[in-house]
Amino acid sequence: MEEYLGVFIDETKENLQQLNDTLLKLEENPENMELVNDAFRALHTLKGMAGTMGFNRMAKLCHIMENVLDRARNGTLKISSDIMDRIFEGVDLISKALEKIVNEGSDEIEEDVDLFVDTLKELANIPQEKNEEKAGEKRNANNEGVEGTIERVALSEEVASVLKKAKSEGYRTYYVKVILKEGTQLKSARIYLVLHRIEELKGEVVKTIPPIEDIEEEKFENEVEMFVITREEKEKLSEVLSSIADIDRVIIRDVEPVREERVMKVAEKAEVEEEKKEKEEEKRERKKISSQTVRVDIEKLDTLMDLMGELVIARSRIVEVLKKYNIKEVDEGLTQLSRITLDLQNVVMKIRMVPIAFVFNRFPRMVRDLSKQLNKEINFVVKGEETELDRTFVEEIGEPILHLLRNAIDHGIESKEERIAKGKPPVGTVVLSARHEGNNVVIEVEDDGKGIDKEKVLKKAIEKGLVSEARAATLSDQEILNFLFVPGFSTREDVSEVSGRGVGLDVVKNVVESLNGSVSIESEKDKGTKVTIRLPLTLAIIQALLVKVSGFVYAIPIANVDTTLRVSKGEIQRVQDRKVIVIRGEVIPIRELWEILQVPHEATPETMEVVIVRAGNRKHGIVVDELLGQDDIVIKSLGKVFSDVREFSGAAILGDGSIALIVNVSGIV
Amino acid sequence: MVSSQEVEILSFLLGDQSMAFDVDSVEMVIERTEIRPVPKAKFFVEGVINLRGRVIPVVNLGKVLGINVEDGELKSIIVVKTKDVEVGFLVNRVWGVMRILESQVDHLSVSDKFGKKFKGLIKRDGSLIVYLNIEEIIEEITAKEGA
Repeated sequence: MEEYLGVFIDETKENLQQLNDTLLKLEENPENMELVNDAFRALHTLKGMAGTMGFNRMAKLCHIMENVLDRARNGTLKISSDIMDRIFEGVDLISKALEKIVNEGSDEIEEDVDLFVDTLKELANIPQEKNEEKAGEKRNANNEGVEGTIERVALSEEVASVLKKAKSEGYRTYYVKVILKEGTQLKSARIYLVLHRIEELKGEVVKTIPPIEDIEEEKFENEVEMFVITREEKEKLSEVLSSIADIDRVIIRDVEPVREERVMKVAEKAEVEEEKKEKEEEKRERKKISSQTVRVDIEKLDTLMDLMGELVIARSRIVEVLKKYNIKEVDEGLTQLSRITLDLQNVVMKIRMVPIAFVFNRFPRMVRDLSKQLNKEINFVVKGEETELDRTFVEEIGEPILHLLRNAIDHGIESKEERIAKGKPPVGTVVLSARHEGNNVVIEVEDDGKGIDKEKVLKKAIEKGLVSEARAATLSDQEILNFLFVPGFSTREDVSEVSGRGVGLDVVKNVVESLNGSVSIESEKDKGTKVTIRLPLTLAIIQALLVKVSGFVYAIPIANVDTTLRVSKGEIQRVQDRKVIVIRGEVIPIRELWEILQVPHEATPETMEVVIVRAGNRKHGIVVDELLGQDDIVIKSLGKVFSDVREFSGAAILGDGSIALIVNVSGIV
Repeated sequence: MVSSQEVEILSFLLGDQSMAFDVDSVEMVIERTEIRPVPKAKFFVEGVINLRGRVIPVVNLGKVLGINVEDGELKSIIVVKTKDVEVGFLVNRVWGVMRILESQVDHLSVSDKFGKKFKGLIKRDGSLIVYLNIEEIIEEITAKEGA
């Protein structure tokens, strides 16, 4: 079982996510039977898996919710918001159980599962039933056939998924038809023998046609069909089964999940044609998805990335060496090598990319809970979930977005009454979107709430001594809003349980900048607020401007570079002990990189190379010795030994094997 | 109590003193290559090297232990790898791997100078080897300033 635990955890997570999504949709359209069906199926799968793994509490939870949905499905129960809340609660309990399984290997959660089951039962008016005890069992045989066609469909679906799963785990799956000789006595005993032999071969019978109960009562003619999972060869199975007395013929065929569908179709002629087609399409789609993905250990991807980086470096070295000799013959080969490395690099990068849906998925549920808690009605719109970004970001960027969403809901969106009074639609809208823009991923959180009170921000900034009163009058709106990114800045007097407006924005900024990205904020009174996060497509390879200082190479991420220019000593002015230059009326502070890094350097020359960088929304001039040009560099972490060095965000190995330090722009200005 | 358990150590020369690490944590020994200095790093960090495409910090072990060693004498780098840290230590030269009995280690003597970085003293063939606690050293060099 141990070996399946990982798969179980991953798949359960996915199923839970899917269930959450479906339930959210269902909450909006409680009458939509298709959604009820989807949720039912997700729970059914969860239950089956939990049961197989022996997590009975989890199975029990799934079972009761499944029952509730089943009642909704056959029309005996209306899904009220009370029931919906309970079901969400149940999903949370399952999540908790899963967490417990991940950490401790057991689903023994503190919450009282039985109490929950009883409450839900009472709420949904479900009588005590006898097959409840079987909740944990993989095949919920008692349910089968009792509820007519729909249940049959759900079951065949289940069979298909069991077979598919077995197949993916390396088992063989067979369709077996056993035909007994005419006039055989004790037919059910023969079939039992067949089932027994299969079990002896460590096989498992997933489904029989007719069902097992009918076989018991000999309610069948001379043949029985079944689906078998085993590790044995077809021949072996055939040999063993044919040796049983009174068996006329045994037909064994391989079952592919799709072919199996066809077999099912024959067996269940009675089904409504349309329904069948629908299911089939759905199944085909699912199959397509499952055959298109492979789970890969992230460490392997990281190794691949490292190797890729080394390949890029090795290629640059060869190119550099060969340049000296100017050998015509190798040119073509070299060009090809360069092209292939580039393509390979792109492919490897793409492998590391995942849809941002991985991050966004959990938000609809959070928004729902939060808006209920705050008693606000929110229309939450998610756009561009398919936008891909480096998987390294997935773990990091969730928290900042969460902060922004909380801010938007808690402080951005006004209460219903307030909105009506302002002549706005009573339901507030929060939009979370993602898109690609050049070499960036842009994530935006936008609300149509009350906006940020700039005067209040300014007042606070003056209070905190961030700006003098005289200077305050000259600040642009943008400059005022930027105060929100200053650590510890908050415009809200009473910090609510959920979030303080402004609190967290500095945290957001820190996280985003540590990922080589940037944040900006726009806000208009009574129109709303929009926070924009810009991230590079990938963390692993970036474009950088290489510069030289005191004989060593440093890399400045292009994302931070505004422009470069040459400045003579005479152009530098002094404002209160700080050196500045004026470019097109803009006053830009300027510093020598050697002074910032405290490395030995000769006197500042007459004319200087200056790189204008951007940190946050401010520009700074950095003086360097020499500009070497732009290059793609592979970022390597400097590791824990340098954890207190804020000036550098990593290192890169250059074509000649030497090392360039990557300047962390927000750490030096 | 005399324990007869065997341990493998890597012994090396630092300044004029023989020292040793547990061999388990040692990844490899390389000749000193060009070290790229890293400004603003802690005083005992010499910089980083390119070790087969990886960037590895190089630490002056003498400075960590408070021993004055002529820089030109430091000719080898011992690359040590633990769970999440890979780091090279500059030493004069490496003697090699040796097996010693746990009973040959004198744990009783305490070093005022090396503190917890000191594991014991090994007496062997009439000479003394300072047995260092590599985990503790790594702990110290990765600690955040002021922590």
